[in-house]
Amino acid sequence: MTIQRVHAVPGLFSETGAGPRLLGSRCRGCGAVYFPKDSVCHNPNCDDPSLEDASFGPRGKIWSCAVQNYAPPAPVVTEDPYEPYAVGVIDLDDGLRVMGRIDIDDPMQVQVGGAVELVVGRIGTDDAGNDIVTWMFRPI
Amino acid sequence: MREVAVLGLGMHPWGKFPEKSVTKMCREAVAAALTDAGVSWREIEAVSAASSRFSGGKGWGLNGNDVVEEMGATGIPVYNLSAGCAAGGNAFNIGTTLVASGQHDVVLVVGGEKMPKGFIQTSGVDDVHDPEYLRQRCVGLPGPAFWAMLCRQRMEEYGTTEEQLAKIAVKAHKNSVHNSYARFRKEFTLEQVLSSPLVSYPLRLLEICPVSDGAAAVVIGSAEFARKRSTKPVWVAASSVATARFDDGITRGLGGIVPTGRTHHSEAARAVAKAFEIAGIGPQDLDLVELQDNTVYYELAFPEDWGLCQPGEAESLLEKGETTPTGKLPINPSGGFQSFGEATTAQGLFQICELGWQLRGEAGVRQVPGAKVGLAQTLGLGGNATAAVLTR
Repeated sequence: MTIQRVHAVPGLFSETGAGPRLLGSRCRGCGAVYFPKDSVCHNPNCDDPSLEDASFGPRGKIWSCAVQNYAPPAPVVTEDPYEPYAVGVIDLDDGLRVMGRIDIDDPMQVQVGGAVELVVGRIGTDDAGNDIVTWMFRPI
Repeated sequence: MREVAVLGLGMHPWGKFPEKSVTKMCREAVAAALTDAGVSWREIEAVSAASSRFSGGKGWGLNGNDVVEEMGATGIPVYNLSAGCAAGGNAFNIGTTLVASGQHDVVLVVGGEKMPKGFIQTSGVDDVHDPEYLRQRCVGLPGPAFWAMLCRQRMEEYGTTEEQLAKIAVKAHKNSVHNSYARFRKEFTLEQVLSSPLVSYPLRLLEICPVSDGAAAVVIGSAEFARKRSTKPVWVAASSVATARFDDGITRGLGGIVPTGRTHHSEAARAVAKAFEIAGIGPQDLDLVELQDNTVYYELAFPEDWGLCQPGEAESLLEKGETTPTGKLPINPSGGFQSFGEATTAQGLFQICELGWQLRGEAGVRQVPGAKVGLAQTLGLGGNATAAVLTR
């Protein structure tokens, strides 16, 4: 049996030749960005709340970060045995502030303000033995 | 609008009470508040209750109806308010509005909660349309890691140290030693806090509030009723509710706009600013604050978000002891959520009780000397926040 890569939740990112991109929306009226995709802008000061599809990434900076030291319960996907991992809020160059795991061996070494790029990485295994993957940010 | 007085305060101790229902816990808090007010249950004209997330309420958050049935159903109107962890504050706001508007002269406000074990799973539903589910499933980021990120950002911006974070926990627990309602009435040393396990770096187990069972109730009434019946009224100078703004800097789902400027928890700042405006006071008039310290970080961030101190000044106030009960800006003399644990929807009323006791000069060893004006603040899921200003 071939091990397949399964997205943690389908439809949130694409894997293009130029690397992964997050799939969201941008408001035609006020430029507000949304991830995941939305159908209408929620900015109360926006008079033209129609959205267009937008993709985000790959470069950004770490606004802040933390370490997930204990093994959290489902629906969080974790490896067995558990290893603490880093999470962060990333300000992407194209205007999206987004949460994601940080792809780094030692989660204590993440630097706030550090440059990152969008990657796709494995976070665990599903019942059928497939790799569950999600978007992550790798320090560069 | 009419003046509103707090006439009676009552609490059930915070802790774990597996043998007791949330309604029985509420009954004890209500009975204590009625006795304190010198008011009988039959005189209560309406109930404003916090809807519990986890316990009682017939599965619909009808906890006020449970309390009325428990105390004896007199046919009075019941309002059940849901606002995440801000529900107790919302119930207080609606209760005071019922009195201020002239609809009722004596109202009971009550909140009780029994919490499941472990960190709160905010949604509990596997729904790809729920941002909370997406955040946990795709990113693996539960509540404490969210607080830890806010805290880490502050450490970068202001140079806050791990030792300073631990000092807040030490102070909170020191305050709780003489509070018979607190779950943990024990002092911890700086070394004990700093050697407690990391939950989510930079935050440790003793720097994040656990979950508890608890219940609190207050009896409020009109000024006319208070003058006739109460020897120790405390006055509601303001009660306010706010929700988060679209441009708030805190990412509540997976992602959003990069905000211009520093706007974190705009709901709390707006509720507090509105409360100051209604009360006609400013930060300099406060004698004490009971704020929502789910983690020690908030005790640094909130005072400056609300203008109680300058940005980056909170750490030096802490170091100088100004946030202790005898300092210039006493914060959480009760011991706070750190010492009580969070019984989510009851917390807003536990804060009102503490302000009431402090303003009446009945807080014993943890008394803030000469307290005349106090501020209470809650924060809840969904971008909910409340504030109240009480005066002697």
